This record gives sequence, structure tokens and C-alpha cells, in this order.
Amino acid sequence: MSKEILACTVNGDKQSSLIDPRDTLLEFLRDRLGLTGTKEGCSNGNCGSCTVIVDGQTLCSCLMFAAEAQECEITTVEGLATVEGFHEVQDALVRHGGTQCGFCTPGVLMSAVGLFNENPNPNEDEIRLAIAGNICRCTGYEKIVKALQDVTANGEVA
Amino acid sequence: MMPEEFIQHANPKGSLETIGKRLPRIDAGKRVTGEAIYPADMHLPGMAIAKLKRSPHAHAKILSIDTTKALALDGVLAVVTAEDFPDLEPGTSVPMGQGSCDVWMVGQINMARHKVLWVGQPVAAVAAVDKHIAEQALELIEVHYEVLDAVFTMEDAQAETAPILHDSIRTSGLDAPINKPSNICSRTIFERGDCDTGVTSSHAVTEVSVSIDTAHQGYIEPQAVVAKYDREGLTTMWVSTQGHFTAELVTAKILGIPQSKIRVIPLEIGGGFGGKVFVHGEPVAAKLSEKSSKPIKLVFSREEVLQGGSGPTAAMQAKVTVGANSDGRINTLIAKVHVDAGGLPNMSPAIILQVLAALYQTPNLFLEGYDVVTNKPRTEAYRAPGGIQAAFAMEQAIDQMSEKLDMDPLNFRKKNFAVTGSIMPAGTPFPCIGVQEIAEAIAKHPCWTTPLEPGEMPRGRGLAFGYWRGTSMTSACHVTISGDGRPMFTLGSVDISGSSTAMAQVAAEQFQMPLQDVYVATGDSKSVGYTDIAAASRVTRTMASAVVDASQKALDELKIRAATLIQRMPSELTYDHGSFRTADVGGPSISSAEVMQSTLTQGAIVCHGISTDLPFGVEVGAHVCDVEVDEDTGQITVLRYTAFQDVGLAINPAAVEGQIEGSVVQGLGWAITEGFDYGDDGRLRNASLLDYRIPTALDVPSIETVLLQKPVPGVPYGLRGVGEVPIVPVAACVANAVYRATGARMTQMPMTPERVLTAIQANKTN
Repeated sequence: MSKEILACTVNGDKQSSLIDPRDTLLEFLRDRLGLTGTKEGCSNGNCGSCTVIVDGQTLCSCLMFAAEAQECEITTVEGLATVEGFHEVQDALVRHGGTQCGFCTPGVLMSAVGLFNENPNPNEDEIRLAIAGNICRCTGYEKIVKALQDVTANGEVA
Repeated sequence: MMPEEFIQHANPKGSLETIGKRLPRIDAGKRVTGEAIYPADMHLPGMAIAKLKRSPHAHAKILSIDTTKALALDGVLAVVTAEDFPDLEPGTSVPMGQGSCDVWMVGQINMARHKVLWVGQPVAAVAAVDKHIAEQALELIEVHYEVLDAVFTMEDAQAETAPILHDSIRTSGLDAPINKPSNICSRTIFERGDCDTGVTSSHAVTEVSVSIDTAHQGYIEPQAVVAKYDREGLTTMWVSTQGHFTAELVTAKILGIPQSKIRVIPLEIGGGFGGKVFVHGEPVAAKLSEKSSKPIKLVFSREEVLQGGSGPTAAMQAKVTVGANSDGRINTLIAKVHVDAGGLPNMSPAIILQVLAALYQTPNLFLEGYDVVTNKPRTEAYRAPGGIQAAFAMEQAIDQMSEKLDMDPLNFRKKNFAVTGSIMPAGTPFPCIGVQEIAEAIAKHPCWTTPLEPGEMPRGRGLAFGYWRGTSMTSACHVTISGDGRPMFTLGSVDISGSSTAMAQVAAEQFQMPLQDVYVATGDSKSVGYTDIAAASRVTRTMASAVVDASQKALDELKIRAATLIQRMPSELTYDHGSFRTADVGGPSISSAEVMQSTLTQGAIVCHGISTDLPFGVEVGAHVCDVEVDEDTGQITVLRYTAFQDVGLAINPAAVEGQIEGSVVQGLGWAITEGFDYGDDGRLRNASLLDYRIPTALDVPSIETVLLQKPVPGVPYGLRGVGEVPIVPVAACVANAVYRATGARMTQMPMTPERVLTAIQANKTN
């Protein structure tokens, strides 16, 4: 199958890469760029492990073709921490025990960042709604929700 | 005052400094940054992609497999079928814990031979330069089948005229053996007293019959492996497994190669819950690598995980009869349990029967269990395997009896609980555990004492207890003392529960050092001695014992070196927070850093720690929940949920709570929404995470946990198992709450709206 060139920005870095038109955005990130933090749990948009932010929109990267990301700005879990340290949402999950096996964690983080970008002070219902597309089989969500409530309490989100 | 077991390994001040602290996981950072590496994240130069061809039939003879066209496709590197593996004798096994692992069975899960027994069983595999070509090649593999009649329910499988899955199976455990093939693999009995007399002499008798659908462990990471066969004939496998030593033993046998020619490196495991004890595709990937001379990556799709590629857990039918005297004491307990093994024999239901009956005393007991094969995926373990199903029957029967006797359900249980030393179904004594303490804690807790506020729809409060035995098996680690005197531990166990963090806390406690001064990591199958699987609530408590063993040996060696350096007898020295001191005031002291600075080049200190056959760390928990039931739709909403558990000693309370919270939500999933829906052709109709409905954050309430700590005698720090029992009471707890809300007894699990509605309507008609 003929390849095409995808130009986009990923975690602030300009990328120009040959892609297979059949590639999903998830496959582009994982297989072409080696950004394997974004996980594949179902390939159907049901589990949320592949959640990324594209032009400010939180979405499942398994449901978007890579070719659709032309000129887009994409943020993945690898783009959250800086040399200064963790993003506040990452820090909260660490402190509260909101990650166990870790497989759903990148997706949960991206959904949470998407939420705080739009709503800096969500209540518990809004937090639960924002991560309702992210299935976590380990935590029962308790410590994830507590962590995100703590971010709210601190009120400082990038 | 700390119990003896807590302090016997404490520091000189008799306190615990790191154990018992609520600390973040030592590996949390890489989990929140995407740096944690799972097998699907691996990439090796020249790596090829493998795909499995799976059976479309539930029961069929494989007449022939033609791979010619697939091999001719450009980009295809290798194809394998059962012919590429040795034909193992049924009964072939490797050691595992106190028992063994059936390698013949695991071989069938990986590649069918002669016959397929369920939809989705692998029949061939292909490696190609990319996944598109691999998928295309699968279509070109021609398999000719002779389709056989299949059985999908345990009733059908036991019928006189049922098609037989395995000609070699004779029912074991029958009073009079029958020399005829059967789909009933085994019958297990526990018996005491006289139940016939027990029932007739009872003041009250009650009976509950339940049917539970198959459910899946639901780990979010599908099975994945990377395998590389090198020029020296060594196969290296990067796996997501609950036991890399077992994976190595089993894979070597399936491939027919010596264990010296295989090395298994465990990477992160994205959830297992029992479903990643066996290998699923690892031997196939290894064989494809050998045939293609390329590193091979095999990753299951979600549909494969659900549709026959990995074992879900057993469906079950159970009937429980309880008889009680007018004083509220149980005098008879009868239970009959059928367990659906899927396409290959499973274990005998002995553990399930014991778990069902363990918590209550009765003079008359008859427990009977059957293991039945059907044309569905071979079932595998899922968190306290069989426990939630057994409790769904038993704890509803107990609830029903308490109502019949007009007794409070908590008081009725308190009157009948087993006590330390009372005789369990298998004839063993009931262990020392805080059952009554849990009951007392519930009696005082607002979740039980606060009246349930009425809502617009009927509400009810449920209570259920759960028991799980767990096991001990063997754990090993070693510690090397670094050049600066700090300990570096390599563990033989993978981390499925935060166990590595707990081990860092134990190591820090032993060496009386801050957590950041100890190094803890999991070794591969060639780096530490044999360690059993991470399962059965055993790793944290048994590995802690191995870490204590290794630490004590290393500290003894350090002390000998220290004594030599300061010219004293070792017996004169005391270890205190990183230094050896003499008792005399102003006497010499030397730090372990100084000891190693002076002696490292004479040879490192490396000590091995082993824990084997540690006393069991039996688990008991009890749950209380409030539900609201929509009588128009049958929808159950869980309003409040509280879980009580005797955890022995919580090394890390945050991790322990995390185990309980996650366990409860898994239980709520199976209780209310999760069930396999097989069609008439044996094909799973809900093989996606949209249709197989795992709870989301919106489906569950906040889970409150109450930890009680009663140490296990004879175990370092008094540790007991934690991670499994909190799933056991969940479905019964919800069912008892639904009953209190609606008067309808729930006999099917999951309790879907349709089933709840039917039960409510049937109850109103009666």
C-alpha cells in the first residue's frame, strides 16, 4: 500500500513521518514514533487506554486515522511531565495510589487533563463523568477520583 | 501493645518505622509517564508480527491443515501448527506449588491438536513482516474440519446421549466407578454427621439454588509476548505473566527443549487476576521465531481475549440447604455445586466447597461438587476462583435462614461462626482470624447502625461474609550488599499488587534504613531461584518472609566483617540503623558503608532468602451495601458500600485499600452487569468491552474500607493474604440488599435488569 506523509506536532515536537493510510493515530504514535505510553486495550474505543488530546479534544486514538491528524497538535502521556517535574495530575495519582497495574493510567491521565483544561474545579460527579470512558480494572476508581479531587482542591492545573 | 508477630522482627526500639506507612508505589513514576514497559511496547530490530488462526467451530475434528498458500504470500516468514510441537501425553505436568501445572492442558490452550473444543481455540499461527500481511495469510490457511455435535450447558453435557469431549475421561471420585467416557471429570465429597436426620430434626430449613454465568478477569492489557530465538539456540521471551518460572517450565515442555535454552523476562503486567497464570501464545511465538529467525511479537486483540483466546472464569450452579435449631444454631448444611470447566478438565471443586462452608459450624455436613466439561473456552482462575460464586449461594441461604428465624442477619452469623480450632469441611482446624472482630466492627459502624433513608424507589441493606484460604507455595529472593552498605534485592516474583513496594518497605524495616536507600526489582527466570506464581494472595506475605530470611543472613555476614574490622567478637555487636555498635559507652562503632568500603573487593555479600510452606494467611472479609432498585426497569443502583477485612498487618495501608476497592468493583461488575452470552453455536455474542460491560467510574459508588489487624501466628509480621477475599462477598451482599428492598430472591448472576425485573414480578405473582 502506498505511503503518505503526515506532518503534525506531538508533545510540542514537529513530526513529519511516512505513514500507511491504514494506520490509526494510535499505531502512528506507538509504532512510528515509539511513543508507547499510549496503550491499546481494545481497538474499539471502549476502554479508553489510548486516550490522547488532539487540538484540545480528548479522544480515543484507536478511532482516528493517522492521516486525519494532518497539521494537528497532539498531546500524549509522554508530554505531561517537564524537566521541573510531574504534571499536577500525575503527581496526584502517584500520591494517592491512583495507579496499580498502570495500563489504563495514561488514558486516565489524558482524560483528567482534558477535564481540568475545560473545568478547573470539577465536582466528584464531573470527575467520574470525565473518566467514565476509561476502564480501570484494578483500582475500583476510588483512589483515582480522590486524587483528582485533590487536584481540584489545590486548584493549580496547567 | 503490639502483638508478638508484629514486633519479632522490629528494630531495637521495638517499633516499626517503614512497615505500616501509607507510601506511594516505588514504581508509580514510570506508570504515570508512560515509561513502564509492557510486552506490546517492545520493539526489536527486524521484528515480525504473529497472528493466530482460530477455530470457528465449537467442536470439530481437524482433518487437515494446508499452509501452502499462506507460506507463498509475499511477506510471510513462517507458519506453525500443532505438528511443530511434540505430541504430549495427557497428564504431562510440571511442578507448581504443592501440586502441579497440567502442561498437556496448557498445550491445548496454545494450539489444538486433532480436535477443537471451543470457538477461538488456535489451530495455526503465522509470522509476517507486518500485521496486514499476517492477517491476510490467516485467510489463506486452509483447515478442513469434521464438525461434531457440541454441548454448551452443564445440563446438556451430563445428558445420557451427550456428545463426549474427551474419550479418555472417566468420572473420578464416584462411589462405584463407571468405565465409560463422560463429560463429568470429577466428583468431590466432604461429609460429616447425618444430614438426613439433621434436616428432619431441624426447626427451620431453607434452600437457595443459583446459576452463575461465566465472567472474564477483564485485565485491560491483552495477552502479549515478544520472543527471540538466537543463533546459539537460546529463546528469550519478554512476557506479561503471573509467573515467569512457571512460564519457562511450561514453555520448555511444550517446545520440547531443555530449560537451559529458554530465558523468560517478565515485563510489566497490565492486570492478570488469575488469567495470566498460564501461557497463551508464548510457545507459539517462540516456535515462529525459531522457524523465521526473526524476533516475533504476538499481541491478542480484545476480541481474541474474550472469544476463546484466554480463559474466562467458571460458570457455576449451586444448591444450598441449611437447617437450623430453634435456638438459632445451624445443624445441617448441604451443598451441591457444578462447575463449568470449559473444553478441558479443570481442578476438582474441593476448594470451592471448603470456601462455601468454611465460615460456619455445623454438626451435619454434606458437600458435593462436580467438574463438567463443555464446548467453551477452558476456564481459568479469577481472583479467589469460585469464591464469589459459592458465596452468592451460601450467603443468600444464610440471609434467608436468619429471616426465617426472625433473627438479625449479623447476630445469626455471630452465633454460628467457626472459631479458632473448630473443624472445617476438610477436617482441618479453623485458623486464628478476626471473624468475630469484624462482626463487632460492623455492629458499631454507621454503615450498619444508621437507618437507611427511604428513597423514591425501594431500598435495602445487604450483608455478606466471605472466606478465602489462599496458599503459600514458595518465594525466593536474593540480596547483594552494595559498596556503600545498602541492600539491593532481586525478587523472584512479578508485581501484580504493589508487592515490590511492600518488599521495599520490609527491606527498609530490616536494614533500618529509609525506603530510598533500598533497591528492589524483579529478576528474570535466570537470576533468582524458583518462585511460584503470583496468585492465591501469597506473594506479599511469603516474599516478605524470604526478604526477612535474606536480610538476616546478610546482616549476620556484615556483622562478622564489622567485628573483624573493629577487633571485637560478632556477639558483642548490635546493628542499629546502618551501624554496628558495642554496648560499652564510647566503644567503637562502624557503619555498614564503612564495612563494605573496606571489604567489597574481598567479595560481595550475596544472600539468598527462601520462604516455603509458610502457614496459610487465610482471609476473611465482610461487606455491607445499600442499594436502590428500580421496580419498573430492574436496574440496581449501589448507593453505599463498606468493606471490612482482617488484613493481618497492612504493610502499606494505601495498597491494601487499593486491593479491596478494586476487588469490590470487580465483584460489582460480575454481580450486576458482567456475564458471557454464548449463542447456540458456542460463539460468544458479547466479545467486546462495549457488550461485556465492566463497571465504569459512573457505575459504582465510593468504596469505604475498614481494616482490622489480627496477626497470623508464626509468620513474620503476622502477615496474611489480602487481595482475593474482597471479591468473595460482593454479589451475595448486593443480592441480600436487593432482597431486603424488593422481597425477591436473586437466583441468577449477573443480576441484570431483565433478571431482577423477572424476579420481582415472580415474587409479586406468588
